[in-house]
Amino acid sequence: MADFNTSIKEQGDVSIINLKGYLDAHTAPMLENNFVNLISKNKFKIVVDFKELAYISSAGLGVFMAYVEEIRQNKGDIKLSGMSEKVYNIFDLLGFPLLYEIFNSEEEAIKKFSEK
Amino acid sequence: MNGYKINSNLSWWIIGILSFSIILFRILFFSRESYLFFIINDLIVIPLIVITILVIIRKIKRSEAHPTALVLNSGIIVAFAFLVLLFSEPILSSFSINTAVLKLNPGLFQNIILSLYSLMFIAITSFWFATIKELYFYKRYRSNHIYFQLMIIFIVLTSVTSFALKGGQYNYINDTFKIITSILIVFNSLKISWIAFVSKKEKISLLLQSIIIAILFSLNLANINSSSFGGKILADFSPSFYSFYSLILLYGVIYFSVLFFTTLFHIPTAEAYDRKAKEVSSLQYFSKLINQVLDFDDLADTITDLVTKVSGADSAWMIIENNNEPKTIANKNIAYIDADLINNYLLENGLCGKISETKICSLTKFTDRTKLSEKFSSVAITPLKGIDNQKRYLIAARKNDLLFFEEDKTAINTFADYASVAIENSLLLEQSIEKQRLEKELDVARDIQKKILPEKNPEVNNLSISSFFIPAFEVGGDYYDFFEISKNKLGFIIADVSGKGISAAFIMAEVKGIFNSLSRMIETPKQILEKANEILLQRLNKRSFVSALYGIIDSEKEELTFARAGHCPALLVRENKIQSFKPFGIGLGLANNSDFNNHLEEIKINLMDKDTLIFYTDGITEAKNEKLEDFGEERFSDILVENSDKNVNEIADEVIKEVSLFSSSHHQYDDITLIILKWNKKNNSNGV
Repeated sequence: MADFNTSIKEQGDVSIINLKGYLDAHTAPMLENNFVNLISKNKFKIVVDFKELAYISSAGLGVFMAYVEEIRQNKGDIKLSGMSEKVYNIFDLLGFPLLYEIFNSEEEAIKKFSEK
Repeated sequence: MNGYKINSNLSWWIIGILSFSIILFRILFFSRESYLFFIINDLIVIPLIVITILVIIRKIKRSEAHPTALVLNSGIIVAFAFLVLLFSEPILSSFSINTAVLKLNPGLFQNIILSLYSLMFIAITSFWFATIKELYFYKRYRSNHIYFQLMIIFIVLTSVTSFALKGGQYNYINDTFKIITSILIVFNSLKISWIAFVSKKEKISLLLQSIIIAILFSLNLANINSSSFGGKILADFSPSFYSFYSLILLYGVIYFSVLFFTTLFHIPTAEAYDRKAKEVSSLQYFSKLINQVLDFDDLADTITDLVTKVSGADSAWMIIENNNEPKTIANKNIAYIDADLINNYLLENGLCGKISETKICSLTKFTDRTKLSEKFSSVAITPLKGIDNQKRYLIAARKNDLLFFEEDKTAINTFADYASVAIENSLLLEQSIEKQRLEKELDVARDIQKKILPEKNPEVNNLSISSFFIPAFEVGGDYYDFFEISKNKLGFIIADVSGKGISAAFIMAEVKGIFNSLSRMIETPKQILEKANEILLQRLNKRSFVSALYGIIDSEKEELTFARAGHCPALLVRENKIQSFKPFGIGLGLANNSDFNNHLEEIKINLMDKDTLIFYTDGITEAKNEKLEDFGEERFSDILVENSDKNVNEIADEVIKEVSLFSSSHHQYDDITLIILKWNKKNNSNGV
């Protein structure tokens, strides 16, 4: 199967998840684990960076839907950044830009958190 | 069995009769000068010896005695004979028997005592001979026994001639026979083949026994010369027997001396033999492993049990390492607490180094050793290979200051190799069962999907319809349907459920139900999708959603109304130009009702003659080639424009052909759905 992996870094109180490779039904559980871990540590300010993501399937999109409600209830948010045009189109088609804040770069997304 | 009993009884009768006859004969006649006396005397003694030997051989064979037991028995008897010879003079003199009596005619009582004394030696000698014969034949594979037979012949010749040619000028013949017999005895003693099959422990005790027995035989031989008291009695009783007795004593000396040296030379290799024997028996254990692969837990238990036998360990256990945390999954003769303590010492502290092959680690430096409920002193740890990336180890331990040696490694290594194969098989089996289960599940999912999709396209005036669906291996969740709302109105939906497989199939079934009923109740696409979102928000779990496009074709008004909830755009080819319609709309099940409703746009298109409408799922645009490039909207549009003059089925065929060509080297990852509608203006149809 196509490769996928994630890495997490911290910048202030914001956690940044970097996605790399192919996010689909088979690799989605890896991203879910990241969210579960962050939530268990009460880290609700999350930026997901798509710079190195090649592909996302509907199951991959579902992961964000699964946790966003809980994160927002805890005064946090999931912000998305660095999408390629192709990945953005997938999000756009489904209307995600209406549901999530999407930024060109990781830095802008982090900045947005500090503005609040 | 019965026949044998009679036979056996018969032998005893013969022995009894012969013994009685010899005593009677010796009491009745006493003429030591007469040859005839000795000839008759020995004619009774020789058959007596032969039959006694035969009876004893049969007895030994029936008891299936091990050679070491035979050696021990001869040892006891030779010691007894030694004592008898040593004390025979003082004891017999108490019956007023001395050397002088032998020359004269002894009394009735003395005669009986002397005869019984000699008969006892006949029995003893017969036993030795039978024993030596059995030892000679034990584990001897060669069938040619010519030298042994030759030796028996010469023993008989020597014995017989010793009397017949006694003192005469032909004495040298007897001496020659004696020398030949001695040579044959040496020759026959040389090959002691059974020694190789004796364990090391037994060899050591055999070494001690054989030297003592050899010495006792030598002492007896020295004590029996014709000038000694015992020797005189036996020589007087029967010269043939006396000669036979001396030869057997000689045989005893030689055989047990040779046995001593053979054993001595075998001791260094004894361990090798022991190990070979153990390896052979462990082969049987390995075959046990093969039958256990059906259940991994049973297999782990068997492996742990067997490793104790193979390596002679006191305890053994198997561990699996997850995230650097060892977990004991099977144990034998060890408490879990003890195993865990040792696991931590070996793996977590890395004190046994990197374990890539069988390693022996002493526990003497183990600080928590006092916490162990039993005094384990040495462990051997071996990694087990498997098809998954899990690390498994097999550990064997010895207690009470016993250590493992390098030689034990080989046994454990070999066993670990077999165990690894068994584990691998077991895991493969488990995987293939799981794979079968998944395939079955996918079969069910595909079956559900097939039943959900419409069997045929509806017939509508002025509208030609083509629908095409290709399922992906892992059911992708595409769904389309047509609803004949009224005479002039045809509703249709094309949707893609998130996720794959059986869960997608179930959502699909639910979506079908929802749209089936909504299309009958509600008039506009926007309202239908709004209601569907409301229902699906409650019904679906958070991570699932559905992209959908719902449209209604009104053949009366010649218009298409549709709304799009996160689905691929609708395409229209009109006069060789393609237009993409992508009204706002969020996928079903993603946003709450107000967000969803506020952002849902409805579009109306007035249909013109030869308008071609195309609805599809992302299985087409996201179909991939070997370079993982997408088929893409551009390629798709070009084909549609190029072929727009053809009928709907031909257009669909062209699209599918091109997509298949494009992605021929890459498996179809998602379902492909394509609906093409072509509007033929009213007037035209009326004209036809």
